[in-house]
Amino acid sequence: MASEFELSRNITIGQYVPTASFIHRLDPRIKLLVFTILVLAIALNTSYLGNFLGLLLSIYLFWASKIPISYGLSGIKPAIPFIIILGLLQLIFQGSVFSGGTVFFQFGFILITSESIRLVIVSAIRFVEIILLSSVLTLSTSTTELTHAIQSLLSPLKKVKFPVHEISLIITIAIRFVPTFAIEMEKMMKAQASRGADFGSGEWWRIIQRTKDMFPIIIPLFTIALSRAEDLILAMESRCYTPGNERSAYSVYKALGRDYIVLIIGLILSSLLLFYPFPF
Amino acid sequence: MPGQPVIEIENLYHTYMKGTPMEHTALKGTSMVVNEGECIAIIGHTGSGKSTLIQHFNGLIRPISGKVIIDGVDLSKKRIDIKALRRKVGLVFQNPEDQIFEKLIGDDIAYGPFKLGLPLKEVRERVKWAMDMVGLNFEEMKDRQTFALSGGQKRKVALAGILALQPKILVLDEPTAGLDPRSRNEVLDKIKFLNKMENLTVIFVSHNMEEVAYLADRVYVMANGSDVLSGTPEEIFTDKEKLQRYQIGTPETVQALYRLKDLGYNVDTAAFTISEAANEIIKVLANGEGENHG
Amino acid sequence: MKGSLTVRNIVIAGVLGAIAILLGVTRIGYIPVPTAAGNATIMHIPAIIGGIMQGPVVGAIVGLIFGVSSFLNATVPLFKDPLVAILPRLFIGVIAWLVYVGIHKKSEYLAIGAAAFLGTLTNTALVLTMAVVRGYMAAGVAWTVAITSGIPEAIVGTIVTLAVVLAWKQIGKGKKSKISEDL
Repeated sequence: MASEFELSRNITIGQYVPTASFIHRLDPRIKLLVFTILVLAIALNTSYLGNFLGLLLSIYLFWASKIPISYGLSGIKPAIPFIIILGLLQLIFQGSVFSGGTVFFQFGFILITSESIRLVIVSAIRFVEIILLSSVLTLSTSTTELTHAIQSLLSPLKKVKFPVHEISLIITIAIRFVPTFAIEMEKMMKAQASRGADFGSGEWWRIIQRTKDMFPIIIPLFTIALSRAEDLILAMESRCYTPGNERSAYSVYKALGRDYIVLIIGLILSSLLLFYPFPF
Repeated sequence: MPGQPVIEIENLYHTYMKGTPMEHTALKGTSMVVNEGECIAIIGHTGSGKSTLIQHFNGLIRPISGKVIIDGVDLSKKRIDIKALRRKVGLVFQNPEDQIFEKLIGDDIAYGPFKLGLPLKEVRERVKWAMDMVGLNFEEMKDRQTFALSGGQKRKVALAGILALQPKILVLDEPTAGLDPRSRNEVLDKIKFLNKMENLTVIFVSHNMEEVAYLADRVYVMANGSDVLSGTPEEIFTDKEKLQRYQIGTPETVQALYRLKDLGYNVDTAAFTISEAANEIIKVLANGEGENHG
Repeated sequence: MKGSLTVRNIVIAGVLGAIAILLGVTRIGYIPVPTAAGNATIMHIPAIIGGIMQGPVVGAIVGLIFGVSSFLNATVPLFKDPLVAILPRLFIGVIAWLVYVGIHKKSEYLAIGAAAFLGTLTNTALVLTMAVVRGYMAAGVAWTVAITSGIPEAIVGTIVTLAVVLAWKQIGKGKKSKISEDL
């Protein structure tokens, strides 16, 4: 195996796939807002019909973003065993909690009702919906756009002294440093392996020993990160960065007609999912 | 005198992230031979494949195509004793002080030997030897805290941490980068001592041509993933045309001697060590001014 | 002042957030010890360290970054639910800070250790509570997981946090190196 340590290059955060679809061109603020509300609405909806509609919507959005379907499937495929295990556990143990509806099966403590079956199916569909939606968001929006969107969506909170600019600066720093630290971590793993380290090879029950086996990577990782932080603090303070000052935005988004249409449709669909009493 | 070959690399290729959009070929047919007891310098621009190459030496990267034989072990074989290989080839990364994680100097240097499962007595002897080699006093320093050290001392501790494995071959990636001039000279002297007196085979990557001139028996020049030039420092530094083609700097002594030669003085441009160059310049001064102008 | 967002708080929160993301996307975030899941996560530790070093606001923000990252990277249905993946994580650093502030005058070691232990348990307890509330798990299953995973994870969390914070704050017992003892 040539890539025992090759991890920095495997990291894909906000892996942007430019296909120039209309979803890519949407105002990122609107995209993020609609995404957040939709995910919450889906998370709170417990009806078959509602989640079926949600599934159709997520598939449509994925299709509309022109992102290769393999990206969506790669999120779902590894999860299938978990979905099955979770479903079985829910089926076995949750009958007594979700005991409403018709009782289909009863044996000992195992109780299967129409409500517990609903739970199993809705959980699985919900998972697929959210996987697809979050893939659409992260694959069609660059991290810069996302950070700006967060900042701008939070900006009304400035009125109540919520530190909007500071929060988005924190997010920017976090995203900025992930690849740097990944490279440091890869180097650290190689350097320690060069002096005989092996990670997690002791007897499995020796918790403390196994944890300490990771020290040669974890301690330097945090120490390097925190000393980078000290350098950055010094650099920012010496350039007289003061939190809380008014700042000029260097990138201004202008929502167009189609952005508003998407927003309105998104809001309608979300409130439908949230409040409409679906018959089943 | 150099003995048997201990590192043989032939037509080595390496591609990172093969089969993804981020695919990047770092090595394109590199070859290299290092003989026992030699001191080899690898020079070349950032991205020329130096780091990828040296990571093959202790099996951190396994050959995708091409031959890598380290002290008789063929790394393209599936089943090799990778731990034994890493004991034999000590690899010191750039800024190795980052890898210090124990609170006390002695413990950090002892990490490798303890991982080998050696008895305490032998671990202690190895730590003592390694500390001697880098010029740290064992009794005085072993219980000191690692964080309180200066950059140069930390570098020595990290170097001792590798030496404590008692490798046959020592590989260093820019061993003096970021050190102050005094620590730089100290580290260079330690490396020279290990090579000449302890008979370790040394391979080092450097951007500093003075260092190369001071330490290396032979030099490999890397460009675009392959070895484009090799020879003794004399051969490399006097080949002005190739140096320019691969944009490789020369030691300041060589630059000074070439300036003198261009001005018509009769100097030996291969006299690149500080003392030899000084002698050449003294010769010019002694012969008087303006003698051979034109 | 601790709590408000100074330059120091902003930068440290960002850097710890980066580590939280990184631990989540590589296998370094999991330590292979016996738990129900087969390993103990240490991805929440940046949030604990943020709480201990810079106060509750930084702790909560690092927790938020950890939560969002675990939500976006989740491959199990449980964590693809924002109410399970994100919400509980906000409290890890806050609880760690409360515990730390409560004890640190008595003993720095004890304070860091207790903050890490209880911060980790906060993570386990709140995630499992949300999992039960949201119907992913029955209470009995959750209790089993809490005991079989929660305790080892809290031990791992305590060891790692202590090691990292003590190394960074450069606090060391005046002990002797292992190789100093005569055996």
